[in-house]
Amino acid sequence: MREVAVVSVGYTRVSEHWEKSIKALFVEAALKALENADLSAKSLDGIYVANVFAGCLQGQTNLANVLADSLGLYDKFAISIDAGGASGALAIHEAYKDVAHGVRDLVMVCGVEKMSEASPQEIVSALTSVVDQEHLKYTGITVHSLAALIYKTYLKRFNKKQEDVALMSVIDHEHAATCHHAQYPFKLSLETIMSSAILADPIRVLEAISPSDGSAAIIMCLHEKAKELGLPHVKLVTSQIARDRLNLTERDDLLSMKALVEAAQRAYSSAGIRPSDLSFVELYDDYSIMGVIALEKLGLCGPGEGVELLKSGEVKLSGSIPVNTFGGLKARGAPLGAIGVYQAIEAFLQLTGNAGPNQVKNARIGLTHTSCGFNSIVVINLFEVCC
Amino acid sequence: MATSAYWRTRIQRYRLMGNKCSSCNKVFFPPRLVCPHCGSVKLDECKLPEKGRLVDYTVVYSAPKGYETVIPYVIGLVELENGVKVVAPITDVDVDEVKEGMEVELTIRKLPEQLEGGMICYTYKFRPVIK
Ligand SMILES: [Zn+2]
Repeated sequence: MREVAVVSVGYTRVSEHWEKSIKALFVEAALKALENADLSAKSLDGIYVANVFAGCLQGQTNLANVLADSLGLYDKFAISIDAGGASGALAIHEAYKDVAHGVRDLVMVCGVEKMSEASPQEIVSALTSVVDQEHLKYTGITVHSLAALIYKTYLKRFNKKQEDVALMSVIDHEHAATCHHAQYPFKLSLETIMSSAILADPIRVLEAISPSDGSAAIIMCLHEKAKELGLPHVKLVTSQIARDRLNLTERDDLLSMKALVEAAQRAYSSAGIRPSDLSFVELYDDYSIMGVIALEKLGLCGPGEGVELLKSGEVKLSGSIPVNTFGGLKARGAPLGAIGVYQAIEAFLQLTGNAGPNQVKNARIGLTHTSCGFNSIVVINLFEVCC
Repeated sequence: MATSAYWRTRIQRYRLMGNKCSSCNKVFFPPRLVCPHCGSVKLDECKLPEKGRLVDYTVVYSAPKGYETVIPYVIGLVELENGVKVVAPITDVDVDEVKEGMEVELTIRKLPEQLEGGMICYTYKFRPVIK
């Protein structure tokens, strides 16, 4: 297999971009990524577009075709990828395989999402639509209520307090406070989080993602070509995907998260590293509890020790294993299909020393964890600094 | 969901009808088209027990369209007498009086959401067993 590098990134701030269409958001991020690498769109061999809701919220299907056309790439390969929250990372996974196997040499992966055009009720329905709708539609079951069942199971099994789990959101906000592209660049106290409205008991609004608009693009190519171009770049060492049952009721245990464990183990063994070798982690915390569980399943601590790891402060920028260095899903924001691409960009910024006030010292290797439907699809990407 | 899709799922929705693999005897709810255990496509309708235990529950305050009018409502994880688990709305009990471990039984109830043309929808819910 050929070695694959990320050579450039472009992105919009995560926000509610009332004045920009999904096309405008895409073009903005794509042009920035091209400009940063001094490349023309024509030099690309194709684009991979990650998106979840354009069909239901914008009434726009065939998105990759529409977006490629809007960039003037009407004669190049373009593919849409929808895997819920895992879409962005899965698009990177597909691009990685194509470059590694010699199918294409220079490609762009773009994640784009525009959720601000929907009402709060439509967002609940849209987020819930990633789980089996023939079964769940017309029950009133929401994605929040499923997360709440996982949350309560965790608190009971490990005898933990919600205040400890909610620390995940406090830390996300602490890191986002100095992040220019964050949707919510400010600190939040535990008291504020714990007194916010309840989505589904016990989950508070400030422990969960909110509707976001954003577009994130990365340019990937052969490692050899990256050197030729003389661009600052990072290696995408491995990209692993694993799946689990979508219906929580069919899993042996609500807290097993088998796909996350499997993808992480395969990523570590494929790269020949251990969790302790990681310089930082960008994990998928669509709910604070899912972030805490991810800390454990990624092997950063033992079962039930996620909250202790949060309390220890080791997950902060100055700690031994910084987590969500730009604010994670909660505070950087979570434009659903673009999440995995934003995470890759954050890894790129860290590993090229361009993370500004959020820079992690001696960043060598970073892990991104992206998931869909309570880790029913998990993509783990490992990025490494290039000497 | 279209009227036809609602109609298509009426049996599982009204009667809590799952299905059972004729090769490995595993029971599924919602009904499956292929057995994930043995790959068999021979699955027979299987009526699920109407009683079970409320393993855990949550009270919903942020609802999808149509359900804003009924918040707060309870969604529970129910383990039926044959071990099959179902996530379902819990009814006939005050949100403050729901208890883990509660014995619950099947009931059919009207939903706040309607189909196009105003057709009223029903689904399975569980209510506390009155002893
Ligand atoms: Zn079977």
